[in-house]
Amino acid sequence: MTRPSVVALVGRRLGRSGFAAVVAVLLALLLIRLQGFAPLPTVLAGLRYALGDPSRIAATFAWGLPLLVAALGVAQGFRGGMFNIGAEGQVYSGALAAAVVGAYLGPLLSGLHLLLCLLAASVAGGAIAGGLGWLRAHWGVDEVLSSLLSNYLLILLCTYLANGPLRDPTRQSGSTRNVADTAMFPVILPHTELTAALFLVLALAGFCWWLAERSVAGYRWRMTGASPGFAAAVGIDVAGARISAMAVSGALCGVGGALLVMTSQGRFWTGIGTGIGWDAVLLALVGRARPVGVLAWAAGYCVLRASARGVEQATGIPAELSSVLIAVIIIAAAARNGLLAVLADRLRRWGGPDRARRRSAPAGVRR
Amino acid sequence: MTALEAFLASGIRFSTPILLAALGCLPTRWTRDLNVGLEGAMLFGAFFGVVTGYAAGSAGVAVLATAALGAALGVAFGALVTWLRASAFVVGTALNVLAGGLTVYLLRSWFGVKGAFSSPRIPALAAVELPGLSHLPLLGPVLSGQSPLTYAAWLLVGVLAWASRHTVLVRHLKAAGEHPEALRVAGGNVTRVRILAQAWCFTLCALAGLQLSLGQLTLFTEGMTSGLGFVALAVVIFCRGSAALLVAMSAAFGLASALSVRLDTAVLPPQFAQMLPYLVAFGGLVVLSRRSRVAESRILTPTLED
Repeated sequence: MTRPSVVALVGRRLGRSGFAAVVAVLLALLLIRLQGFAPLPTVLAGLRYALGDPSRIAATFAWGLPLLVAALGVAQGFRGGMFNIGAEGQVYSGALAAAVVGAYLGPLLSGLHLLLCLLAASVAGGAIAGGLGWLRAHWGVDEVLSSLLSNYLLILLCTYLANGPLRDPTRQSGSTRNVADTAMFPVILPHTELTAALFLVLALAGFCWWLAERSVAGYRWRMTGASPGFAAAVGIDVAGARISAMAVSGALCGVGGALLVMTSQGRFWTGIGTGIGWDAVLLALVGRARPVGVLAWAAGYCVLRASARGVEQATGIPAELSSVLIAVIIIAAAARNGLLAVLADRLRRWGGPDRARRRSAPAGVRR
Repeated sequence: MTALEAFLASGIRFSTPILLAALGCLPTRWTRDLNVGLEGAMLFGAFFGVVTGYAAGSAGVAVLATAALGAALGVAFGALVTWLRASAFVVGTALNVLAGGLTVYLLRSWFGVKGAFSSPRIPALAAVELPGLSHLPLLGPVLSGQSPLTYAAWLLVGVLAWASRHTVLVRHLKAAGEHPEALRVAGGNVTRVRILAQAWCFTLCALAGLQLSLGQLTLFTEGMTSGLGFVALAVVIFCRGSAALLVAMSAAFGLASALSVRLDTAVLPPQFAQMLPYLVAFGGLVVLSRRSRVAESRILTPTLED
């Protein structure tokens, strides 16, 4: 037996997420230092801004509700082996669909109006992603590239609609009419943006967990994702599983977009969801496409983002710090296993009695 | 200059960044580390081209510095995907977000501006007048007076086409992707070859971004690559390793972009015109997949179970 090295032991304790979080914190401290501020007090000021009192906490997490739904959607697709990178376009489409139903239909009975808006958004997102899934399942069109390109097509289409036929003439260009009050989720904590959408999102998160981990459809998706050949051999309809995984993924992204309109914005405008789709993809990746992991990372990202806002207010350090950190978190998480293997190997080579038994470097070994 | 000449000239101008990025990406396809991070690498190149040009006041320095920076970034990326065994797909996706965030972060930290940065101190890449060609009808105005990177890109097409037939290096690159064991037995260093491919890719992508920020404009705007990196990725997937197809595809996208700029907004809303290159890419992808039915063109995605 080779002696487990210190690095390996520490690494195993820390886990992938812990390692990524530590790297991110260190980088944040370094970047703040580089800007000429005292790192720790600045971070604490940021955290106070994010989590200082109940209304701050509510604001921090209310912001992340649409993102969480979209990330859960992307994760559902990933589990089925469908890398839906088109979340951004689907979020936009869902937001526009919800804004149209909210503004042109109604006022209606509130619950009914909310339901119709969400339905329209999920149909819009689901149809787009489902269509891309169909192209993949039947024509072999790589969904990574097709969904990437669909982002630009869809965002441009939404921009056109918001500037043209659906434009609110009383406003500056690029914005649709305000939705009826009955299409807005009621605020549950006064003076915050925390709305009843919280309950919907929690229910959706629970549903996603059940769907992915316990349901028959989820089993089929996971089998298809893990090994399409095996899935086909045991009689799973692989094409059907691919299309439905994509459709569910897109529908959730659409609902995420709808929540942007129905909880805070009250209308569609051309910059409504910039970057949310990409954040959702990153969260799904770092959460290993597991609903629980995605939920935890989405919560962490909310705190990170709100803290970056707070840091910007206190010091003027740009709040884009949060995008830099989330990207570094992903890279650190992806590189962790390899890094530990390399470090452990180096330590084993340099010292210890088992020098003679040293293994060849893992470099160049392909998975 | 007639309308046709202007259209063709701008078509060539628009195809340059796509061509450069696609030429850069091609070797990473050979080593099977094709990644979706071209967009981010281009954005970094566009940003640092402007920064170094602004600092040094010379476009030549900007080109050299940006190329060096791209190479360094490529080695880092290569080390991540080979040595540290990170998935090229995951790191590439993160790179796109990182580039979007970091360029804005640095733009605001260093220059205190949001959205766009322009200054008379930013040098433009000087247009090159080809002495023999300038007087010819049609050819002169179209081929002469382009940015030096445009000529470099077309030169590289020839170099790459020649190299892919006659050099050991390209054979090593292809072997690193198709049969790494064979390359190792033959005495090649798989890791080094894969890192080299990434360094080449990032260098050219950085120059492609620089062509956008210093060749076509002399300013940097947030997210100015707007999907061109993804279009280049589509080109690399379409071309199936053939340099001729790669050039034809890049030119098609360049012309589509030129058309979208020139279309009268009264005839077609600008958003539809802007869709053209992406529509061409999307349509091409569907047609190609339908006809070949080979899963070979798939982007390598990670397995999430582990």
